[in-house]
Amino acid sequence: MEVVAINQISPDQVILFSWWFVTISATLAYTWLVMGVLVIGSILITGNLSSNPTMTRWQSVLEVLVETIRSEIRDVVKDGVDTYFPFIGTLFLFILFSNVFTFIPGYVAPTSSLTTTAALAILVFFAVPFYGISKQGILEYLKEYFRPTFIFFPFHVMGELSRTLALAVRLFGNLMSHEKVIAILLAVTPLFFPVVMQVLGLLIGIIQAYIFAVLTIVYIASATQSHEEAEHKPREPNSTNH
Amino acid sequence: MHIDWFVFFSQIVNFLILLFLLKKFLYGRIIRAIDARKAKIGALFAEAEQSRQDARTAAEDCERKRQDLEERYEQSLNEARKEAETYRERLMEKAREEVDYLKVRWTEALRAERNNFLHELRQLAGRQIYAATRRVLKDLADLNLEERIVEVLLARIASMDENELSKFRGPDREGATITVTCAFDIPPATQARLNDTLHRYLSGDMDVAYVRSDDILSGCELRSDGHKISWSMKDYLDTIEERFNSALYEEAQERT
Repeated sequence: MEVVAINQISPDQVILFSWWFVTISATLAYTWLVMGVLVIGSILITGNLSSNPTMTRWQSVLEVLVETIRSEIRDVVKDGVDTYFPFIGTLFLFILFSNVFTFIPGYVAPTSSLTTTAALAILVFFAVPFYGISKQGILEYLKEYFRPTFIFFPFHVMGELSRTLALAVRLFGNLMSHEKVIAILLAVTPLFFPVVMQVLGLLIGIIQAYIFAVLTIVYIASATQSHEEAEHKPREPNSTNH
Repeated sequence: MHIDWFVFFSQIVNFLILLFLLKKFLYGRIIRAIDARKAKIGALFAEAEQSRQDARTAAEDCERKRQDLEERYEQSLNEARKEAETYRERLMEKAREEVDYLKVRWTEALRAERNNFLHELRQLAGRQIYAATRRVLKDLADLNLEERIVEVLLARIASMDENELSKFRGPDREGATITVTCAFDIPPATQARLNDTLHRYLSGDMDVAYVRSDDILSGCELRSDGHKISWSMKDYLDTIEERFNSALYEEAQERT
């Protein structure tokens, strides 16, 4: 496997195997690595889960992680936390581990590939109407695009597209730029600075995973709760009279 | 920017597979474990709350019992104090009664002893005075005391008026008896004089009986039908006894 060179802007361009239209790039390989770690780690840890107050450290770490994600979702959406949790949680964990593994020499985060971030953004793009329709019904969901008037329909559509693009480019841009900065710094000042930047890169990776997940929750929440809020808001003054 | 569409769709599929696997191996299990723990902890808390409630109830029960016991203890103590006070008063009363009884007995014993002493003193003094007087009279005046006593009696009979004499004689003048009781033996000559005097002043046919008795202290008495003429040292001895008694009493008063 080749290390990503300065002129190679994406791990997609590191082709490991190619047959007809099937090209196994570094992106896919590292994605499978992250998937494998997540799945095998989950299986190993959850293999002997304890429901007693005393538990293993790994289980404790995992529970804290899961509960933190659920708590974040709960802060935005009031109900149906466990409906969105697998999707949001998987997004967060995948991006987080993809970004955190950059401390491994030779590893390139799949999220520094626009293809991966675009795929994730497209998943969010489809997940938002999926959850919105499943929660409100297709008519109620589509009505949201025509609020307050039908004139706003194109703007809503543009908003959906642009935010999907923003999701993809934000994550890709941060991760890719970071890797490039480290590569440049390695060439210019091989000592100390790359280490600091690596640490900074870990922080950025964690923050980006968090941002991606939180934005996804917000989009899903806006699709599932906007109509309810519109209905409930006028009632609030009356409800306070009771 | 180049997008590899094979990788793009592969990543979508990869993500969906990862979602499925994590849902199967991670989220479901971990959430179940968390829920089970929550339920267990909730049960433990409920149990702890129940135990706390039970403990509080038990503590309140204990406190109530302790207060009851304390009240009962105070009550018992008060009753015991009252009983002890009553018992003490009863004992004091009994002791006082015993002391009074002993005092009375002691006083009686003392009085009896004093009386005995005085009686003995009287007897002894009577005898001593009689003996001393007899000797003094004999030595100084060559007189016999017994004769002088009889003489005194004879003089008293002679000095009695008719009223007193009739009383002495009594209603039955015929066959009456005059008893002459003396602490000593009257010589026959003196007896004859006494007979003459009595027959002369009282009645010629009255019998005269002579009796010797130590009960009459150094004296002599004539008794007839309830009337009596006597002379003895009793009066003198009474005076001595009275003074001695007074002296004893004063001495006792000074000591107490």
